[in-house]
Amino acid sequence: AQDNSVTELTQPDSTVSVGVGNWTADRHQQGIYDGMRDKGAYGLLDADITRRDDATGTWLKLKASDLGLDDRSIKGEYLRQGDMGVSLEYSRTPFDNPNTFTTRLLGIGSTTQTVSTNATPGPLREVNLGTKRDMTNLGVYKNLLPGLDFNVSFKNEDKNGDRAWGLRTAAPTQVPSFATDPINSTIRQLEATLNYTTPKLQLSGGYYGSWYDTQNTLATIYTAPASGPSYISLPLDNQAHQLFLNGGYSFTPSTRGTFKLAYTRATQDEHLPTQDVPGLSQAGSPQHLNGEVNTTLMQAGITSRPLKELSLLANLRYYDVHDATPVNRIYTNGPCSTAGNCVDNTPLSYKTLSGKMEGTYRLPDGYSLTAGMDLSNQDRDIPVSNAAGPGGTDTQRLVPFRYHLNENTYRLALRRSLSDTVNGSLTYMLGDRTGGTYGSSAGSLGGVASTYINPINIADRTRNKARMGIDWSPAENLSIQFAIEDSRDNYAHDNPYGVRNGNAQLYSVDASYTLNDKWKLDAWYSFDHNQAKQLNTLTYPTLTKDDNLENTDNSLGIGVRGDVSARVKLGADVQWTQNVSRYQQAINFPQTANFSGNLPDIKSTLLRLKFFSQYAIDKNSDVRFDLIHERWKTNDWTWMFADTTTPFAYGATTDGTTVTANQKQIANFIGVRYIYKFH
Amino acid sequence: AAEPAQAADQPKDLVLKGDAKCTGCHDETDDAKPTMLELHPSVLSIGKTKHGTQADGRTPTCTDCHGESVTHRTFRGSGDQPMTDRNFRKNTKTSVEDRNEACLTCHQGGNRIGWQMSAHGSQDVACTSCHQVHARNDKVRDKLTQTEVCFTCHKEQRAQINKPAHHPIVEGKMTCSSCHNVHGDNPKQLIKASTNETCYTCHMEKRGPFVHNHQPVTEDCGICHQPHGTTIDNLLKSRPPFLCQECHNMNTTHQGQPFGLPRNRASNGSGFSTLATVGRGCVNCHTNIHGSNSTEKTAGDRFVR
Repeated sequence: AQDNSVTELTQPDSTVSVGVGNWTADRHQQGIYDGMRDKGAYGLLDADITRRDDATGTWLKLKASDLGLDDRSIKGEYLRQGDMGVSLEYSRTPFDNPNTFTTRLLGIGSTTQTVSTNATPGPLREVNLGTKRDMTNLGVYKNLLPGLDFNVSFKNEDKNGDRAWGLRTAAPTQVPSFATDPINSTIRQLEATLNYTTPKLQLSGGYYGSWYDTQNTLATIYTAPASGPSYISLPLDNQAHQLFLNGGYSFTPSTRGTFKLAYTRATQDEHLPTQDVPGLSQAGSPQHLNGEVNTTLMQAGITSRPLKELSLLANLRYYDVHDATPVNRIYTNGPCSTAGNCVDNTPLSYKTLSGKMEGTYRLPDGYSLTAGMDLSNQDRDIPVSNAAGPGGTDTQRLVPFRYHLNENTYRLALRRSLSDTVNGSLTYMLGDRTGGTYGSSAGSLGGVASTYINPINIADRTRNKARMGIDWSPAENLSIQFAIEDSRDNYAHDNPYGVRNGNAQLYSVDASYTLNDKWKLDAWYSFDHNQAKQLNTLTYPTLTKDDNLENTDNSLGIGVRGDVSARVKLGADVQWTQNVSRYQQAINFPQTANFSGNLPDIKSTLLRLKFFSQYAIDKNSDVRFDLIHERWKTNDWTWMFADTTTPFAYGATTDGTTVTANQKQIANFIGVRYIYKFH
Repeated sequence: AAEPAQAADQPKDLVLKGDAKCTGCHDETDDAKPTMLELHPSVLSIGKTKHGTQADGRTPTCTDCHGESVTHRTFRGSGDQPMTDRNFRKNTKTSVEDRNEACLTCHQGGNRIGWQMSAHGSQDVACTSCHQVHARNDKVRDKLTQTEVCFTCHKEQRAQINKPAHHPIVEGKMTCSSCHNVHGDNPKQLIKASTNETCYTCHMEKRGPFVHNHQPVTEDCGICHQPHGTTIDNLLKSRPPFLCQECHNMNTTHQGQPFGLPRNRASNGSGFSTLATVGRGCVNCHTNIHGSNSTEKTAGDRFVR
């Protein structure tokens, strides 16, 4: 009996569960990924089987999840621990679009689609759109020598289905119309790594290759009354090959150096399909992009603890994304000195040198003080090949570009740890982003004078962020966590328009209380709020709009677990989340008759109640019941007309495809499963 | 418990080589089945894990991680028994560096080479803050339970993953470690050297390069997307047209247009100045916003073809 007991406690165990469940209603929003969007019965089949041969240290594992559902996955593994191993995994990730499309569009699923007209209507029908990702992963591991391991992984992922899409119809109408994106394509990734590990030196080097292989390169959409179809280009095959070497060396028990080296060559050299459409491309424009992006990473760092109380860290990183694609003229409409007349392809390069320094000093009573600094210096490049020449006004693009950016962040943190009752930290960060002069874009490209905007990703910015966390354990069976964060961004007004400032707050409290050996209660509440203010103009300088955007989230979770008896376990979870988005704009010009103007707040609420009960029939088998009550409600008007109740329908000159967002969902689930456990 | 009388009977090893000095006390009668209190987790369950595979010559024994702990093992008095030399309990007095050394002695290689340089490593996170070394199922290594561990500290992300637009994390098809190497020293502790390289592992069609590249797309996907979850379709950080107006502005036709919905189907045809809020927003027309391969005149460079 003693040996049996030890065996039970020390030998890997396995479970297989089989059951059935039923959803009482469709779950348009909550069922987008879990393969249970539609009401009805589902098979529940899971397995976690582990066998180990103790004499040889050989493991056999089989793990299967949701085999009865569309999001099924299964993984098998053979491992002679410390020697070699092989694993094979399959996993499907479905995505079901939560909206319902009522359309006359013809050719869904193909690259030739026809938007019916009122004059020649196609069959009106309801369409559910969705995609599926089917991933297969083969992994092999082999220990070659003591401390030297070889790992190789090959992953193949097929993505199929139809994504909701659209296009602007050709002249003369030029309005949005519904279409579907034929996404069928395959991603392949191969990674082979040699890991060498000794107590002092560790090296990890190898090859990482990745390939994107698409079945479709061009979509042809017929949109009467245009004289011909519209041709929408699709992403083309691309591939990347990377060599990498990472290393670390422990000079002393308290001083360690690390480095990283990687070089990646990514290319896209497929034939450009619009060149095959007569009259669509300028004579002499390239048949292939010959795209090439070379990325170099070099990084070195050192960590040290010269004194018991002091630890130091320093790091230098060079990351160069160089787009070496040759620049070619795509089209010419007239003299290049006139904005928008000459358009080339647009390679963009970024060279970033960043460094980090940090020191932590340990004070008495478990306190430690950390001061740190992150420095970043980025050179950015885009060829300006128009008549204005390099450094001059770019007549091709719409948005100002900065050729140099600096961003420095300074941190100060006080932390207390190793205390029985109260641990925590207080952190303050100051970030400052500046840069060189703006490379101005065209003064009047299509009527645009975009030099007057501060693009959010390159504008001067000051960021202040404070964070406090407290972990309080007033008793051995009670712990409470508090987290408070406040962040404020201020953007400079070098140019008058764009985002002016933003702020974000997070307040959170978690509690865990163990009543006794049998019952435990967890609860948490979280509030977060963020706000951004931005200024834009319709016609400089008189017609402006001042926007105030806010998002507020409240989330609550409660969980209880209990052992009612030696045979019965109970559990329940409550999850409640509410998001409120506000879009306030002040406009100093009249709105058009067709325009709604300001809109009501969007409020979305999710409530999910889960309950389970597990009864031990005998030593090897349980039966488990699950009940779920799920409520989802939103007044999101994204796919509505201005009255915020009528579903949006595409315009009068197209087929009038209607998109219905399913704003309310109430569904209940009941499931029962038999669980068999064995060694 | 104090060293029992049967210590004299030379107890045999139960799980690991040389564990008798520990399992003489921490045997099957002492071993607790998991309880809600989790104050006395199972010791012997390490036998169910890779650390419990004796045939692998690298497998440690109790004292390799916990130290020889002579005062703990030989304690005979009344009162509180001294802890092991290296102790991993919640309120331990063993320093984080010392606790982590127990793991890094064997696990410093591979993806953990940069641990000391990482945000977690440099902020005194212990390996055992996240890992349950003795447990048959280490929560943080199970895709269905990993987020419970990460959300112990990352509260903002806990709220974000339940928003309407999210990656399939709640559904168990992705985990935090699908994108993050929490032991590594990449920016944001990502699995790859940059945000874009990480996103391309699943969204490789966005890699291009394209004939017409959209500048922020080539720089950082995170300029427009919040990968942990948002209330706006496609994980956008802000709703069109506001998102696009962070960089695009001022045109007598439409770029600086106000926010609002068309009143009816007929008004959809009144020009594109009313259609940057409804449905897919600006992308209603600018279909190929991530980049275009079209050579068609005045089409590809505005991402409409």
